[in-house]
Amino acid sequence: MTAVVGTALRARLDAFTFHGENTPALCDVAVSVLPGSLTAVLGGSGSGKSTLGKLLAGWLRAGHAGQLRGSLELGATRLNFRGLPEDPRINPAEWSRRVAFVPQDAAAMLSTVRATVAEELAFGLENRAVPREDMFRAVERTAARTGLTGLLDRDPATLSGGELRRLAVACAVIAEPDILILDEPLASLDAAGAEQIRDLVRSLCGAGSSAGTGNPAGTATGVVLLSQAADTLAREAAHWTVLDGGTVTAAGAPAQLIGSAELERAGVLGAAAVRGHGPVPAIALRPAVYPPPSSGPAPLELRGVGFSYGLDRRRWGAPRYRGHRLREQAVRRVLQNLDLTVRPGEIIAVTGPNGAGKSTLLRHINGLLRPSEGDVRVCGRSIAGVPVGTVAASVGLLFQHPRDQLFERTVLREAAFGLRQHFGKAEAEYRARAALAAVGFTTADEAVHPAELSASQQRLLALATVLAREPAVLALDEPTVGLDRRGLERLDRAVSAAAARGTAVVLVTHDLAYARATAHRVLELDGGTLRDV
Amino acid sequence: MTNDAVTARLHPLTALTAAACTAVITTAAASWPLSIAVALAAAVLAVRSGAARQVLAAAAVILVPLWLSLLVLHGLFFPEGHTVLAQWGPARVTAEGLGFALEVGTRTTACVLVLLLFSFTVSVPDLLAALAARNIPPQFGFVVASTLTLLPAVARRLDRIRQAQETRGMVVRGGLLARLGALRLQMVPLVLALMDDASSRAQALEARGFASPGPRSSYRDVADPPLQRRLRVAALVLTAAAVTARIVASWPAGGTA
Amino acid sequence: MSQPALTVTTPGQAADRGRRLLEIAGAAAIAATYIFLVLTQPADIANGPASFSALVALGGFLLGAVLLIAAVLPVLPTSTLVLIPVALVLNVVLGQLMGSTGLPFYIDAIGTVLIAVLAGPAAGAATGALSSIVWSFFNPTVLPFAAGAALIGFLAGMAARAGLFRRFYFAPVAGFITGILAGVVSAPIAAFVFGGTSGLGTGAIVSAFRAMGDTLLAAITKQALISDPMDKAIVFTIAALLAYALPRRTTFQFPFVRRFRVLAGKAPSAPDA
Repeated sequence: MTAVVGTALRARLDAFTFHGENTPALCDVAVSVLPGSLTAVLGGSGSGKSTLGKLLAGWLRAGHAGQLRGSLELGATRLNFRGLPEDPRINPAEWSRRVAFVPQDAAAMLSTVRATVAEELAFGLENRAVPREDMFRAVERTAARTGLTGLLDRDPATLSGGELRRLAVACAVIAEPDILILDEPLASLDAAGAEQIRDLVRSLCGAGSSAGTGNPAGTATGVVLLSQAADTLAREAAHWTVLDGGTVTAAGAPAQLIGSAELERAGVLGAAAVRGHGPVPAIALRPAVYPPPSSGPAPLELRGVGFSYGLDRRRWGAPRYRGHRLREQAVRRVLQNLDLTVRPGEIIAVTGPNGAGKSTLLRHINGLLRPSEGDVRVCGRSIAGVPVGTVAASVGLLFQHPRDQLFERTVLREAAFGLRQHFGKAEAEYRARAALAAVGFTTADEAVHPAELSASQQRLLALATVLAREPAVLALDEPTVGLDRRGLERLDRAVSAAAARGTAVVLVTHDLAYARATAHRVLELDGGTLRDV
Repeated sequence: MTNDAVTARLHPLTALTAAACTAVITTAAASWPLSIAVALAAAVLAVRSGAARQVLAAAAVILVPLWLSLLVLHGLFFPEGHTVLAQWGPARVTAEGLGFALEVGTRTTACVLVLLLFSFTVSVPDLLAALAARNIPPQFGFVVASTLTLLPAVARRLDRIRQAQETRGMVVRGGLLARLGALRLQMVPLVLALMDDASSRAQALEARGFASPGPRSSYRDVADPPLQRRLRVAALVLTAAAVTARIVASWPAGGTA
Repeated sequence: MSQPALTVTTPGQAADRGRRLLEIAGAAAIAATYIFLVLTQPADIANGPASFSALVALGGFLLGAVLLIAAVLPVLPTSTLVLIPVALVLNVVLGQLMGSTGLPFYIDAIGTVLIAVLAGPAAGAATGALSSIVWSFFNPTVLPFAAGAALIGFLAGMAARAGLFRRFYFAPVAGFITGILAGVVSAPIAAFVFGGTSGLGTGAIVSAFRAMGDTLLAAITKQALISDPMDKAIVFTIAALLAYALPRRTTFQFPFVRRFRVLAGKAPSAPDA
């Protein structure tokens, strides 16, 4: 092969509509990606970023996934789509070899049929009948590039989040694409994992240096970053495209767009303030403006709670260590003589490093986990022996993955679930609507299928289902993760309104800035107990 | 096949051929002493290969109800039987009925043990690589391997969903309809999540060239010594002979019905 | 090496006839095996189980299932193919869930029926047959029932095509009829290969018919006619309810659903492509 400088990708999408839907998911979107450059597409949750990325990379195809009007141009090839059956059909294998896409859920990239990281990497090459010796070389080279060399013999199912993300990127990079599209590559990674991905992106596109075209390997990859945060990585991009409601509202150099109204309106995080490393804090820092907690009887009390994994046999679904049997490992004490009292209307934030047991603590509050020592009291009564489903009447717990918590056909039915037995039809719907309004849903959203909401909205809907029961205690597990700016504002409003009504709120977060801005008290979980920060 | 080292070095197709041929020959032979011998041999091999616990546990789940069912069915009700050993009302214990149960029961036991021995000792990645190398459509290997990967993941996910729903106040109780309703609510997020994952996996697979026609290569190499190839041919010939012999021997008996 | 094209032409119809022939051969193998078994069933099983019939049943039905898989699997679109493992897992997991409710059915085909409803009879048949083959990894006794499972998937797909899944009260009717056919086809396997049924409950029903003097095949066929239609009616209903609970973007990604308007609801504005 001759030395290739790289191929540009240009897309002009007039409208793309999924089959079975009447409104286009994308309209009037124009994107162009130059080789060796870093481009960022910024937009809030549900703005159409992923749809755009998948369309550009041939993951979603005209005619196959929906109806497309517009054109795609890759190098010298230009394809025009008019939404007719005789439109050109993209060959996904060939197109994706040149324009690769890495989804936000890195596990979706994996074939699920290969036993080791090395074989997973080689999967795409096998399908193209690359000779074995070439495959060995390519696997070795790509692994070295993505920091997977030490993991080549591991089972992909046992990788950590950061390792999995790197494997997904490596699976795309091994084909040496001209363009690489990364969908939220930093989502739910810890600081170390995020830094590795950032370095990888920089090395791929040669960004960071102003030259940006061509690295020693001779191939310059154009990287497109899809993100809902104008974070460190996005700020290194040469060009920004702002996506809002499926259409481009602004495009240009980051310096021009930072702080612009369009970026603000799109719900992009970190749109205004300039911040350092790490996840962008949820909202602008400000002193707590909530009314101080009242002094009534405490809705939630934990007294001398202790807990170790390996002792609780009620659920086998409790965290496991990479599939190893826990019983054979040293029993790990997660909570130890832990005391916590939350007064009505008080907001407590619990922080701590990954694996400190924050989620374990939350699961004790509604009885999903039972303490091995001590007692959990809700509204003055011990919940020992009370089924989780019954505790749920006074304790609302919001999980990290809202999808597991949603199961009804419409947003309204979802929020009203379980209320009818207690309040009757009319009252149940009234309460459900009030809870939905509290998190910013309109009456037009009521008939939508929860699965068709954006990730941010799903989180809010899950919150509404919890709020509709007006629980005495509200427990939130990492509520800010995955929320765009609009979602964060609504979360903030809903939580403060609940606190104002006298609900005791416990939220667990790794985001110290958010904790400080929101809570009356910030506690750190360390060594199994809580201490003030 | 005298020790586990040999079993470990068996090419997966040799193991598959051996297991399948043994099962077919046992069926064709229809002799309970042979069935028992095969079952015992399989059990011994399972112990030697260290898979005894899995094989026997899985076999017990299948065979215990089957044996009970056979004994009740043929032990007590066998209208064709002449030699009555005992009788309570309509139920007659006949020698022929017990013999029939013994015959069918041992045959099934032998086949189940042999096949389970194969599935719990074979290396699935090796088997898939071997199948792919023999032009079996890659889709077949995908379905087998992906199912085995998904099973434990889905079980974990279902548990997570159950926790999340209990947290929302779902208490599974009440009559049949209420239980079915609750069950549906557990299934919906599971099915939805699985289908969502599947549709992105389809896109990823197509992007990685899985759907492309044409030749493929294999990263994993499975050694296939010539001796084993000859062994496989021999086993297949032997099986064909056994089946032919059975058909020739039984044809008139079948034809007169 | 020439640069492969970034686009593809419309999939060719050339190989279609070969596939169709394989499909027909598979179906014929299953039908012929069944007829042969019923015609030649041993009048007297007192001399021991009919090893001959067992071999014919195994060989014929497995050959049919393999031919069907060979015909369908290589041409399935990837979006359908990835659903087959999901269906298999659902068959197992949902079957266990149902088992936990204490209902007297085994309900082990929900995934197969769901795929048939979304992707059509061919995909349904392949899913059914593959389900048996993969599951036989853990339970070899389900392997011989591959043909019956394929029939269930195929009939579910035909019912979906005919619009029986548009209203939930038609689904159990379709399931009932499917259960009758599948039960009858599977009965020779139970009778000749296993000499009975694997469950105590079903065994008791067979015993009752045997006590009245029926032949083994007749008794097992009658038992299948009692339990299978009810079982499949439940399975079809659950699959229909699951399909209704899915969002439109998920169901409408399947050309089969769009083309035959499998599920109720207004057709989308977008034309077929």
